Amino acid sequence: MPREASALADLLADARIWKLKDVSAAASRTVWSTGRSGLDARLPGGGWPAASLVEVLLDAAGLAAGLGEVQLFLPALAQGQRQGDGEPRWLVWIAPPHEPFAPALAQQGIELGRFLVVRPATATEALWAAEQALGSGVCAAVLLWLKGSDERWLRRLKLAAEAGGALAVLFRPERHRFESSPATLRLLLTRGREEPLLEILKVQGGRPGPVESEVPRADLAS
Amino acid sequence: MKSRPRAVTADLFAAASAPAAADPAPLQTLVVPPPAAVAPATSRAPVRTKHLWYAAVFPQLDQESAASNAEGRAAVLRRLSLHAQQFTSLVSIEMPNSLLLEIGGSIKLFGSLEALHADIDAEWSRLKHDTSSATAPSALAALWFARAGKRVLIEDPGSLASKLADLPLACTSWDLERLQTLHAMGVTRVGELLRLPRAGLARRFGPAAVLDLDLALARQAAPRRAFVPRERFRERCDFETEVETVAYLEKTLEPLVERCARFLRERQAGVQALELRLEHRTHPLTRVHLGLASTTSEQRRFQDVLAQQLSRLELAAPIRRMTLLSGPLQPLPAGSLDAFAHLGGAGGRDTAPQLVERLRARLGEQAVYGICPVPEHRPEAAWRRVHELSWCASPRGRDASSRVRGGSPTIDQDLARPVWLLDEPTKLRDSDVRRWRQGEMIFEEGPERIESGWWDGRDVARDYYIARRSGGARLWIFQERQSKCWYLHGVFA
Repeated sequence: MPREASALADLLADARIWKLKDVSAAASRTVWSTGRSGLDARLPGGGWPAASLVEVLLDAAGLAAGLGEVQLFLPALAQGQRQGDGEPRWLVWIAPPHEPFAPALAQQGIELGRFLVVRPATATEALWAAEQALGSGVCAAVLLWLKGSDERWLRRLKLAAEAGGALAVLFRPERHRFESSPATLRLLLTRGREEPLLEILKVQGGRPGPVESEVPRADLAS
Repeated sequence: MKSRPRAVTADLFAAASAPAAADPAPLQTLVVPPPAAVAPATSRAPVRTKHLWYAAVFPQLDQESAASNAEGRAAVLRRLSLHAQQFTSLVSIEMPNSLLLEIGGSIKLFGSLEALHADIDAEWSRLKHDTSSATAPSALAALWFARAGKRVLIEDPGSLASKLADLPLACTSWDLERLQTLHAMGVTRVGELLRLPRAGLARRFGPAAVLDLDLALARQAAPRRAFVPRERFRERCDFETEVETVAYLEKTLEPLVERCARFLRERQAGVQALELRLEHRTHPLTRVHLGLASTTSEQRRFQDVLAQQLSRLELAAPIRRMTLLSGPLQPLPAGSLDAFAHLGGAGGRDTAPQLVERLRARLGEQAVYGICPVPEHRPEAAWRRVHELSWCASPRGRDASSRVRGGSPTIDQDLARPVWLLDEPTKLRDSDVRRWRQGEMIFEEGPERIESGWWDGRDVARDYYIARRSGGARLWIFQERQSKCWYLHGVFA
């Protein structure tokens, strides 16, 4: 902590001082790497927190932005599926804007034998399905694309994610940016000049702010 | 070889009481006497047996076009067997067109053999089936008489040989070659055949021919596989007062579901579907289909799906009566029984099939599916939906997928593929393309030529590019080689 005054550093070194920042780290949460070192460094624990709700706000009309928003999570999904020594866990994608392209996912190491696509008719059904999948305990992660929702439902999703030990990722349009959200982590992904811009809006145990863009082309090919 | 088994009468009914989980009854061991059976005089005496076999041949089955295939015939015979079971517990199907009934034990109940035989015949005519039937102390002899169209009732095994003598050899259904050889020898009737020396007959036609004669003359016992009806769970519940709310219906269903689960557990079987029929006073029947993602006998899963289906159910009219039916019973995959399953779901987590069937029960069967890659160059054909999900962790499946990924040239590791594939390639407007090419879009990778599919009429010849628009969105676009038109086919999300 170079920027902090030495007196403060001494004070913080005292074992009797209880630091909020350490609590989240001490809980030794499972994290799954994002596959981007710059982003990992900005997230507490060094990756996406499992068993929590992550919200990604997208600057796009149809939720199919092409900004690499799913790519952000693919390495973590592959890792999460294989976590533990038992059977691979399930991935559930609810109401994706297009058909997930199987060869692309297989390329990234996703176990497609444990992959479900759910196409609910309404937003309420989508939220219900997400809650069921998250709370079931058989899923590593649930990705949900949603045009709108209310805070109460998000809270239920978060509780289900924590209970089921699954990562919940919610993709929503940017217009929900100024609504309050119970998500552990909120990200904003917008169009930039050349590359997409990623900004952390809210993070528990970390600092919000823009994330330097790395050329994710290497990720695409890998 | 000294103690040659001669009769296995006790075994005759073994199959009849066998568990009926699987459709085909366990095959009984047919005691085949060693070839030495050809000679000894001891085996000449008929087996002391009280069995009487009634054979019915249904010539219609050979002609009817609907039942012309083996599957259709078997289905008809199974249905007829169900009717036949009112006369005896041992009914056996003889493909392709006959039934054999052991009626020796039923004579007393029906009064006399004549009455019983007539009753069975009457049953067939009631069912509008032409038959020729016969009763004899051996199954094969009865069958031969019936095939020959001779309606005889023989009780005494001793008189079998003389009665069989007149039958033409064709009724044995032996293969044509053997019949032709016999015909060339001047043997056309069973009687003439019986007069031939056994040893010579065995040498010439093999022991099987001699064995058939012994079986027909009831010198050897011939155990048969009994027809076992397919079991299903079916229970009805009549309401004293008509039920008007779904909540109450759900409550009254609980014991029914419990009994269904117990019924299945006792048979070590499971089902993939249940049906709930609700009868109303005036309205037509309401059917609620309960689909399960995998074969199961777990009460908790039944109730889970039931709760989802009932929550969506709108009662058209009050219910007078309900019936819970199971689909066909299937053997339960080993290892899926949980010793603590009956303790309820207090601490238990869901399993994947449970999750899927709950989602399907509410969202519909088609709304929940898996995807899998297909080794194909054309992107639109390189994947497909999977509705039959596999539940076991399959190292086999993983091997297969890694083989597809690693070994097959069609799914290339190096070439990037988009996460989203559009249902149909979207044609880009010429003006857009011109503007994009002037700097608004940068081709990052490509061209990747995909040219394939000439064999099925949906051939493609395309050059794919990964394009980055200003702002950072990455798209998968292609130019059709013939028309030079540009299309958007995927999004790198």
